[in-house]
Formats: sequence, C-alpha cells, structure tokens
Amino acid sequence: MSVKTLDVIRKRLEERPDELRRARENGLKVVGWVGYNVPEEIIHALGFIPVRIAVGGDDRLVEIGARYASSKTCVFIREIVGAFAENKDPYIQQTDILAFDATCLQNYRAAEVIEYFFKKDVVVLAVPRNFHLDEAKEYFAHEANEFTRLLEERAGAPLDSARLAESVALYNDIRKTLKSIYTFQASKNNVISWEEVYDLIQAGELLDKREYLSLLTQTLDELKERQHYPVIASDDGDSRIFLSGSLIPRGDRKLISIIKSVGGRIVGDDLWSGILPHLDLDIKEISPAGVALGYLNRTPHAALPYLDLESDRRLKKLQECLSQFKAQGVIYHTLRYCDPFTFKAKETKNVLAKSGIPLLEIHTEYAGSDYEAMKTRVEAFVEMIKIKSEIAEEQSVLVDA
Amino acid sequence: MAIISPFSYPEEIKDKFVATPGLKFKDGSTVSSAEIWDFMTKEAPKRFPYAFDAGANNMGRFSDDVHFLSGIKRGYLTLTLKDRVMKQHAAGTPTVLVQGGQAMDAYYAAGGIPVRPGLVMQWARNMEEGLSLRQSETLGLNILESGRRKISIDACNQIAAHAAIDNKVVPIDLIAPFLCLRCSDMSFLVETHRNRVHDIPRYLVDYPVDHENKPWAAEYIAAELRELIDKIAALSGRKITDEVLFDEIKLENRGRRIATEIADLWWGAENPPTNSTDFFGIAFLANDFVGDPVASVDLLEQSKKEIEERIQNNIKGFGVPDHAKRLFICGSCVGPNAHHAQTAGAVFVGRDDSWSCISVPVEEEGDPYLNIAKSMLAYPYEQRTEKRAEWTADMVKRSRADGVIFMYQWGCNYQSGVARMISDIVKQRAGVVTTFVEVGELGRSEATEQSTNRVEAFIEMV
Repeated sequence: MSVKTLDVIRKRLEERPDELRRARENGLKVVGWVGYNVPEEIIHALGFIPVRIAVGGDDRLVEIGARYASSKTCVFIREIVGAFAENKDPYIQQTDILAFDATCLQNYRAAEVIEYFFKKDVVVLAVPRNFHLDEAKEYFAHEANEFTRLLEERAGAPLDSARLAESVALYNDIRKTLKSIYTFQASKNNVISWEEVYDLIQAGELLDKREYLSLLTQTLDELKERQHYPVIASDDGDSRIFLSGSLIPRGDRKLISIIKSVGGRIVGDDLWSGILPHLDLDIKEISPAGVALGYLNRTPHAALPYLDLESDRRLKKLQECLSQFKAQGVIYHTLRYCDPFTFKAKETKNVLAKSGIPLLEIHTEYAGSDYEAMKTRVEAFVEMIKIKSEIAEEQSVLVDA
Repeated sequence: MAIISPFSYPEEIKDKFVATPGLKFKDGSTVSSAEIWDFMTKEAPKRFPYAFDAGANNMGRFSDDVHFLSGIKRGYLTLTLKDRVMKQHAAGTPTVLVQGGQAMDAYYAAGGIPVRPGLVMQWARNMEEGLSLRQSETLGLNILESGRRKISIDACNQIAAHAAIDNKVVPIDLIAPFLCLRCSDMSFLVETHRNRVHDIPRYLVDYPVDHENKPWAAEYIAAELRELIDKIAALSGRKITDEVLFDEIKLENRGRRIATEIADLWWGAENPPTNSTDFFGIAFLANDFVGDPVASVDLLEQSKKEIEERIQNNIKGFGVPDHAKRLFICGSCVGPNAHHAQTAGAVFVGRDDSWSCISVPVEEEGDPYLNIAKSMLAYPYEQRTEKRAEWTADMVKRSRADGVIFMYQWGCNYQSGVARMISDIVKQRAGVVTTFVEVGELGRSEATEQSTNRVEAFIEMV
C-alpha cells in the first residue's frame, strides 16, 4: 500500500526541527499552539511559524507533569506539562511563544502552569462555554481581537488583511485536500490506510504550510492515479471501526496499534487530533473575529457543554460520519481525567445503540500496563462486529434466495 | 470498645441561651431561642442522630464551644434546611442547583432557593431520618456510587448531588449554576441531565476565564444573568424589577460586610475568640445563606456582637489550643478536620474559597445585572492563578497565619492543577510553609488516616 509521497513527508518531518532552528536564527519566531479553537491562520498571517504542541504516549513525561499539575489532571495535559519540564522535545525547544485556548479548562490550567514554572511567553484565547448564544459569539469576537492584539505586540507589526486572506485561502486548500484524501482510506481496495492518513494529518501540525499543501496535493494525485474512483464500502471480512473520544496525539499509538493487531480496520474518526478540526470550517469574513468565529461554529468540542441532546451538533456529526464511512462499530477512547469525553461515553453509547451501532469505551492512560486488558476487550469487540456482519450477510443471502 | 456518648448541649446554658434573640426569616416568620433550644436538644437528636455523633472523625461535628451561643443557632440553620426548603418548595418556591463559591443574589431576588452541591447532599441525607453517622454516610455513598455508575468514576464527589437530583431524592426545579468558577466538572455534570427521563430545565451562566481588563466579559455575564433571572422568575411567578434586585443585593451586601468585619475582628484579637468550626461556620453564612439570607444576616449580626464581647473580655474559643499554630486553608469543597487539627495544636484562621466571594460587594446603584457580573469577575479566587495566589498571600499575612494547607478532593481537575503553583507562590510571597493534600475520603469518617496524618505532620512541622 506504499504511497511514495508519504515517505517524502516522513523525511521532511525528520528534518523539520533543524529547519525551525535555522529559521529562528534568521529572525523568525515559532508559535506553539495548544487547544481546539486557536485560529491558526492569524498566527500564520502575522509571519509566525505555527506548530501544534500535542504529544502523548509517554508515561514517564506524564509522571513528570504530575509533579507540577497534579495527578488528577488529564493524561494528555500532564504529558504536555512534563514535556515542557523536561524540555527535550525538539518542537518545544524551538517554541518562542505559546498560544493556548481555554476550550478545555485543563488546557487553560496547563497554560498557567507552563507560564509560571517554565517561564514561557503565553497568550490565552478564552472560549465561551455557551458557544451557541449570540452574546457568546459577540464575546468571542472581542476575545479574538484581543488575542490578535497580543500576538501583534509580539510580532512587532499589525495584522495585514491581505496576508490574512492569503493564509485563510491556503488553510482552506489544505482542509479541502485533506478531506479528499480522507475518502480514499475508507474505500474498498484502499491504497492508503486510515493510520497513514492520520499521520499525514498530524504532519501538517508541524510542517511549513505551503510545503504541506504541495505534499498533500502530490499525495492526492498519487492516490487518484492508483485508485480512480474510490468507493466507500467494505472489503470482505472487514470490521469497520470508527474511532471517537479523547484526542490521540503524536507519540500515542497504543489503541490504534491494538485495533490493527486484532484485525480491526479503522475507517474514520472524529478526534480533535484527526480529521474533525478540518471539517465544516467556514470563514465568512476576513478579520480576526471572522476567522475565530469560523472555528467556534465548527462541530463543537466536547469540552463545551450543550444542554439539549436532540440538537447536539457533535452527536449529529458523529452519526453523519458513521454513515458516510460505513462504520460498523465505534471504539470510544477516553483518557484518564479527560472529563469532557469520559462523562459522555455512556450517553453516546445509548444514542448510537438506537441506530444499531455498538460502542466500546476504552478508558486508558499512557502506561503500558493495561495493554493486554485493552487488547482482550478490543479483540472481542472486533470479533463481535465480524460475526454480526457475517450474520447480516447470511440473512441477506437467505432473503435474496 | 469504648462507646462515645452523643454530643449534647448542657442544661446549664439553657437560660442564658433562651434569653438571647431568636431568628427572623425571609417569609416574615420568627423562631424564638427557646424554640431553637428545644429543637437542638430534643427534636434534632432524634431526627438527625448522626449530627450529634461526638467522634473526632465526624467532619460535620458541632462545635464543642457550647458557650458561643451563635454556634448553636448556626447548627439550627443547618439542621432545619430540609424542613425550610421543603416547606417553601411545597408553597411554590423553585429550588435551583448552583455552584459553590458563587454569589446568590440573583437567585434569591428572582424568588428561588439556590442550593450548592454540598447542601444538596446534606439535604438528601436528611431525607431519611433517625440515621446514625455510619448509616447517614452509607446513604450518601450509595447515592454517590449510583452517580459514578451512570457517569464516570473520574468525576469528583459533586456527582453525588447530581445523582440525588436524578434519583429524585430531593426536588430540584432548575439546574442553573455559574460555570468555571472553581470547578470544571460542573458543566459536564449539568450536561448529563439532558439524557434523563425527568428532564429538569437547565441553564448555564458562563463565567469567562482570563477576564482581567475585559469589559466585554461583564457584558456577556450580564446578558446571561437576565436570562437566568427570567427563567427563575417564570417558575416563582415573581415580578422582577431593578428595585427587587437591589433589595436583595443590599441584604446580601450587609451579610458580606458583617462577615468581613468579623474576620477583621477575629484576626486582630490576641486570642482566637472562637474555635475553627464556629469561625468558618459563621463566616460561611455570607457566602451560602443556607436557604434564607434574612436569617443568615440576622445570625451574622448576633455573632458579631458575641465575638466583640469575647474579644473585649479576652476570651479564647473553647477547644483552641494554647499557642495554637494558625493555619490558612486553600482549595474548594474540602478542608481539614477542625477537631483533629485542634488536637494537634492548630486553629484555622481563614479560607480562600468562600471568603473570595464574601470579600466582593455588589454595587448598589446602576445596572444591577452588570453590577453582579462585575462583582463576580472581581472574585480574587477566580483571577489568573498568579494573581489569585498574591491575594491569598495577602490574606495569609492579614490573618497572621503560620502555615497554609491547600486541599482538593479526588477527581478535582481544576483546583488540583494549580495546587502546587499556589502553594509555591504563597510560600514565596507570605514567607510561610505550605503544603497541598489530596483527599480521597470526602463524605465518610472512616479510613481518614492518610489525610489526617499529613495534616498532623504538617502542623507538627509548623
């Protein structure tokens, strides 16, 4: 299934930390961003190099982070704090400014802890919890302007509207291309796997954006050449798994590798470290507020509470994706103390059960000690889906006969 | 095994107690001190025996300082909460779940009774009467576990209050807390009610973080407060005008002012005039108002007079050790056991959480919605953590504390995340020793050794 451009991307990722170091030597500044509603286009248009700080999977760093931010903080945030404490991550080392949003309040706490203990220059974008109200949008527009002002101070220049328009266009192209590529991984006789696309999405968090778009375009061309008409459908014996829940950042591949090892095929996700942030982003106005509101109006992050189940856009998006990618079951990944997703696990299971989609919650940390326990549960789930689809197939044959 | 006799008020203080004023309530009714005495010595021990358990591990144990007569009335307000709320609820007053550490002006003004999660659980446990301490705790833990099973084991103990509402142990008409104040679990727990059969109306008053020098934050909250008050008023049938709001604000401001004056008097005294239980119990009235702001303010006034008399006569609160080490307590929802701390030689001199709210009065002229919003945004506890820690350090100095204990409960993400940071800053700025302790046993009086040992060791070190 080798897609040649992916090898190029892997190589470019290896070279990227050195490249950032040289760029900084030439006077450019790197903004590391953490969160879900950080309007990256604004950072880009101000001439900064944006990189997403999202690391996971290292229990040792989690332990270090807990010394600063307590063991009751979610595993992901603990690892981020631990990574700053250790300061060995090449991207963290190259960060001049940090931009955090307060979509998740633990993220906000991490900003405070990192600023205080590790003396980092931190800018915070507050995010309204009542995100759907007009007053909240007005509030967020003010916040976006303030966020931009703080970054302008650091850039030493005001935000240029034409440059913002260019950045928005560039990011829109990236999102559009990613969306096209994503279709291929879920197709019958696919030449690219979900795992490869997932890595590809996360590569974009680090690489230069123009180069990234060019590499994505090459990838898409390559895919189109090898698979003219991708049709989203099952291959024989597939158990099509959809991955939902807490984010799975770079460095954390425990659950993904388990699913693969037991014969499950991931065909989609609505993770905030995956395709979801790239979907439904409609920027209606070229201004800081316009860009930020485009972000806020996407499918909402689970950290933003919504009080009516029937009209919850997050659940609607999940159901839409399940249908689009013809998923047969959901593995719902929750990280220890990631309350936004953990508290919704049973509710999501009940909602999906109504449409006959089974859901398995995997509540985990970055320690390896639960590997076998997770494997047993995932294996049983994948087996159940296979049997279920075999039975459905047999029944359809009988009906046809 | 030695059997500890239940706590009781000695007959020899009765005459002195019944000679003191009774309490006035917001519905215009009054209760005499003789009636309070009868309730606290005859009725309550039968209905709520757990509250009279004299074991040192009983976190809700009454003050041993029986000569501090306001303390007895404070216990009365606690133990009559259930009766008072149920009576008002039956008469059409809506009950509203709120967050701890937030102002209540808007809720009372709109004709509701706000109850924070801690009070919901106290109310829920009191719905079954005649229980011993162990039985009462078991009842509470069963409710807690039912919540965890439905939602998650990662939730903090606040989930018990939501489960009590879910399980219809207590009648709540509206779930409408302020968000982000001190807690990140609240918003997700409110959200879980959307998936329930009862379908209790819900509303969130968003409290923006990182709000310093941002006037748009107050405008956002003010708009939400209008919506909140409309929702409560629709249930209570009360017509809300600015005048109604200002009447409530003035009443609760009076409570806040008296509590602040009490704290200043207490801190300035040569000897602590009350023990930790009485000091915290009285001051807390200006934050929570225990279902009745009129009665709470009345009791605050009586308490202040009593404390002034004690200071004039250099009377030390009963139970306060000689040369007691003065501890300032930080964190939400949980604190050290006052009786254990006193046995180990310490007295509590302040608490950042509830006093944050008490320390900020609401402006009494202009736009009442905007005024409440601005006062909320001025809570020291809800500032950026560094600024909050500076205020805490100032409070530590003013209260002449010798040490600081930051406590948080198991499952608390938002406070635990900055426990070390605050402890470090306060240590630097106030020059006192600090520690932070996670508590896993909240809601029960067994297996408390872990936290007790740490607190006692800290006191010894101080």
